[in-house]
Amino acid sequence: MRIPFLSLFMSSPFDGLQEHAEKVKECAWAFQQAVECHVEENCKSFEDLRQEVIRLEREADTIKRRIRGHLPKGTMMPVDKFQLFMYLREQDAVLDAVEDVLDWISYRVEPGIPAELSKDFFLLVDATIDPIEELSKMVAEARKYFDSFSDKQREVVKEIIRTLRRQEHEADKIEHMLKQKIFNMEMDPVTVFHMIRLTEIIGSVADHAENAGDMMRAMIAK
Amino acid sequence: MSTEYIILIAGFVFGFYMAWNIGANDVANSMASSVGAKAITVRQAVVIASILNLVGAAFIGSHVTDTIRKGIVSNEILNDPHIAFVGALAALLSAALWVSFATWKSMPISTTHSIVGAMIGFGIIAGGFKAIQWGKLTSVILSWIISPALSIILSFIMFSIIKRLIISRNDSFDRALKLSPFFVGISIFIVVLSFLFKTPLGNTLSIGTPMAVLIAIIIAALIGYIAKFFLKRVKRNISGDNGEGIFRYIQVGTACYVALAQGANDVANAIAPLAVIYFFVQTGTVGDQVPVPFFLLLFGGVGIALGIMMAGRRVMETLGTKITHLSNSRGFCVEFAAATTVLIASKLGLPVSTTHAAVGGVLGVGMARGMEALNLRLVYEIIFYWLLTLPAAAFTCMAIYKILQFILQRM
Repeated sequence: MRIPFLSLFMSSPFDGLQEHAEKVKECAWAFQQAVECHVEENCKSFEDLRQEVIRLEREADTIKRRIRGHLPKGTMMPVDKFQLFMYLREQDAVLDAVEDVLDWISYRVEPGIPAELSKDFFLLVDATIDPIEELSKMVAEARKYFDSFSDKQREVVKEIIRTLRRQEHEADKIEHMLKQKIFNMEMDPVTVFHMIRLTEIIGSVADHAENAGDMMRAMIAK
Repeated sequence: MSTEYIILIAGFVFGFYMAWNIGANDVANSMASSVGAKAITVRQAVVIASILNLVGAAFIGSHVTDTIRKGIVSNEILNDPHIAFVGALAALLSAALWVSFATWKSMPISTTHSIVGAMIGFGIIAGGFKAIQWGKLTSVILSWIISPALSIILSFIMFSIIKRLIISRNDSFDRALKLSPFFVGISIFIVVLSFLFKTPLGNTLSIGTPMAVLIAIIIAALIGYIAKFFLKRVKRNISGDNGEGIFRYIQVGTACYVALAQGANDVANAIAPLAVIYFFVQTGTVGDQVPVPFFLLLFGGVGIALGIMMAGRRVMETLGTKITHLSNSRGFCVEFAAATTVLIASKLGLPVSTTHAAVGGVLGVGMARGMEALNLRLVYEIIFYWLLTLPAAAFTCMAIYKILQFILQRM
């Protein structure tokens, strides 16, 4: 039965946003494992992990399309529709970047990462995992803010956004350091190119997480 | 048995059918927020809605009756008792049919607009276009815009107040408790005033306006503080002391408030035409103003209550599962705005739709950024069916009027 009054209420896009953020978070683990596997010798499970990320990315894509498809013209929300879409785009870009990293690795699995750089790569990956995991927390807290509109809660969200910025900055520093090291090594140019590009894409994961934070900042603006 | 009595019996049957439909159709609007916000269960909603619709219909209803009848169709036609008589029956039947059809097809229509549409149809067929007092009609239509607007404004203000003073604060539980006499009192104030103005009860007491306001203030303050006394015992919920726990209990009160207002307002839609027939059978004339006897209001109230009991349950079960994310403070704002609008408007003699008042209440909260997602397409749909209801009910009424006339000539 369809009750007229009921059709005023629709499923909240924040549900979808949260679900999407959870997918991003799920991906983080597989991403970390995959890159670490590649850095170490004798990697067997890389392809499996990559497939796992691809699967999660596809699921997240479905959620993204569902959110976009179910916000028709004339939807009233506490935030601007386009701000929400921009946010979603950035959150999705995090996942895309994660997938790009693994794709890029898969194009040239051999010769792998030289042992003297492995520690730095671990550092870089760890630095990008933190912001990824922060996203789902941010969405949950922002939702609480839209429920209560309390300044305290707003401050909680803003603090997460600040954390994201800081983490991105950390990741940036590691990225710079790593690039410098790579260029100063005696290697064949193709390997250098592959590793430089790899460093950049891993770094971009944190960039997109930060962008998502900035979009959230716009959404919670008074 | 004479024709008059047959028509009277038919009037009672159709009036009851209309009242039943109103109960079945409109209950969703009044109880949706409470059931959706889990303040009351479906069973409680059915009980509250049926009892208080009945009370509201019997004790507060009556004033709208003459406005609908007298305002739109000019007196000359109504001076011919026979025409008025058949017209009232046709209007009643056509409005009831249209409401049933709309319920079946799930169209967001208003029972109030259906009866107004049917009255217009009757006026046109009985006396031509000149029989309709278009000036009066404009004011009626204006009131349809004013009442949702009033509801939007009230709920917007109410939610903004609650947002600023309660839920955004750190000590929102204490603040909710502290302000609870205000929220309870303001609803009580309007209910008491409605009782005192233009009801049989109020007329017997014959209290002047300043006195009535004073009495209402005293009763409101008293009940407000009694409510606070009981609310103090509400346990703070463990997951953080937001004020929602307080509003959850206040919402039980506003659910009653809405049911009362709805009964008071909607009973006229079923009973006004019946009152015309009844008055004619009793006296053989139709006056400018037809008094509505208490037992007719009660009869309408029983019809609405039965409609709620028989069909309302299924409606409310759907509501409970579909409306999520409606917190108690928001539900309170929606109901407060809807009920206040309906009571004030119906006391002013404006035919107001409870459906539109409820939707207005939700939109007001949404405008204050209080809803995660609202589908405004319903608003366009409402406007569409609003424009459709008048001609649909009017044409049905014309056809039924002709048929009835034909039958009666043969008898």
